[in-house]
Amino acid sequence: MRLLPVLGAVFVAVVLQATLARYMVGGRWVFDLVLVGVVYAALQQGAVAGMLAGTIGGLLQDSLSGGILGVGGLSKTLTGFATGAVGTRFVVSKPYARAIIVAVASVVNRGMTIGLDAMIHQEWPAVPWVALAGETAANTVFGFLLFAATLAVPGMAARGRFKRRSSWGRRQW
Amino acid sequence: MLRRPLALLVIVCLGHVLLISTQVQSKSGLPVLEAVTFGTMARVQAAVAGVADAVRSTWSQYFALRGVERENQALRQRVLELEGQLQAEQARSAGTRALQEALQMQQEAPVKMLAARVIAGDPAPGSLTVTIDRGSRDGIEPNMAVLAGAGVVGRVIGRPAAHAAKVQLLIARDAGAGAVLEKTGQGGFLAGGFGDGLFRLELVSNLTTVTAGEKVLSSGQDKLYPRGYLLGSVERVDGEGRTRVIFVRPAVDFSHIEIVNVILALPADPDAGALPPGKPLPPRGKGGA
Repeated sequence: MRLLPVLGAVFVAVVLQATLARYMVGGRWVFDLVLVGVVYAALQQGAVAGMLAGTIGGLLQDSLSGGILGVGGLSKTLTGFATGAVGTRFVVSKPYARAIIVAVASVVNRGMTIGLDAMIHQEWPAVPWVALAGETAANTVFGFLLFAATLAVPGMAARGRFKRRSSWGRRQW
Repeated sequence: MLRRPLALLVIVCLGHVLLISTQVQSKSGLPVLEAVTFGTMARVQAAVAGVADAVRSTWSQYFALRGVERENQALRQRVLELEGQLQAEQARSAGTRALQEALQMQQEAPVKMLAARVIAGDPAPGSLTVTIDRGSRDGIEPNMAVLAGAGVVGRVIGRPAAHAAKVQLLIARDAGAGAVLEKTGQGGFLAGGFGDGLFRLELVSNLTTVTAGEKVLSSGQDKLYPRGYLLGSVERVDGEGRTRVIFVRPAVDFSHIEIVNVILALPADPDAGALPPGKPLPPRGKGGA
């Protein structure tokens, strides 16, 4: 496991989440880019990377939002680990398949957060189904775009290199 | 193969559970860790927000200028109208001042405000707080009221960092304000935290007639927000008697808050920074609807 890309993915996700959330405050659209970052790290680098990304990302999110420190951390740690374990046991390479994993991870993560909140406050809250569906959809779209870009960018760069090399060859010929 | 990662997972999860249980028992959290994380991230967010604003302003000032001429003409006309209104208001104000002097009433001291820029939203999805770029070094303290051009935004919560502070929006779940209906002067409590983005005005006497469009102002009785600032206007009233529910549309558009003003007075005195009765919030800053 390479530590730097994991930390980088989590940090970028937290900064992006806080930056975009600034324009979405009080709006109907809710999303969790940190979770997308955790799933990305888990699928790219495995269960331990997912767990680490979940721990760091969740704790950062908790400490910045002023809630109980550890709730987001614990749910994202478990989500990251489970995602990484699934990713290493099954071949999940297509962006749409990975986006489905993001969707499932979103539901699992939100479910765990609601459950932990209920345990802490000893009161079962009303489950915001519409917000949950919206968040899952938004996370899935962000995840699909991220994984599609991850697949497309190296190929585009290689094609560009090949084009430059072949045109250089023709000139020599 | 998975044995070592599983052991690691168990340790990490136990750490989390311990962390949570410490806070739940003491209700105090980890101030040092929170302060360090919040302070550091606020710096990063200020830089990122600066870059984002620069990109947005470049786009809006250079590339999205279609229809500006038409808008300019309409704005000029509006300025002319407002200048006329301003002159009329100044004349009325001079009359009021003369009356106050005649009655030897005390003039209100101008409230000290500090403009702040919203640099980040809450990273936890669905939470309703924002981060501003002013903190303890600028004189910001917990519970100070925060206003936008259109009305009350919320209050400072938590311990501010040196250059940043967290603001709980009035539409958040645990937020509320003492309120008063402008026409009848009937008091009540304005509660946030409803999924439809509207406030509910509670504890208003059933005998009071409430009509749609009536303005709702802060009463100052909550000792959080000074008296006389605009909170919203009545959207509709459902039901009658005890089952009556008063829906209030917020004056501020919480999805577009950029610049806010923080009242640099602690809310112990409800009249600190209060507006005189009948005078709505003067336009300040860019935030709000």
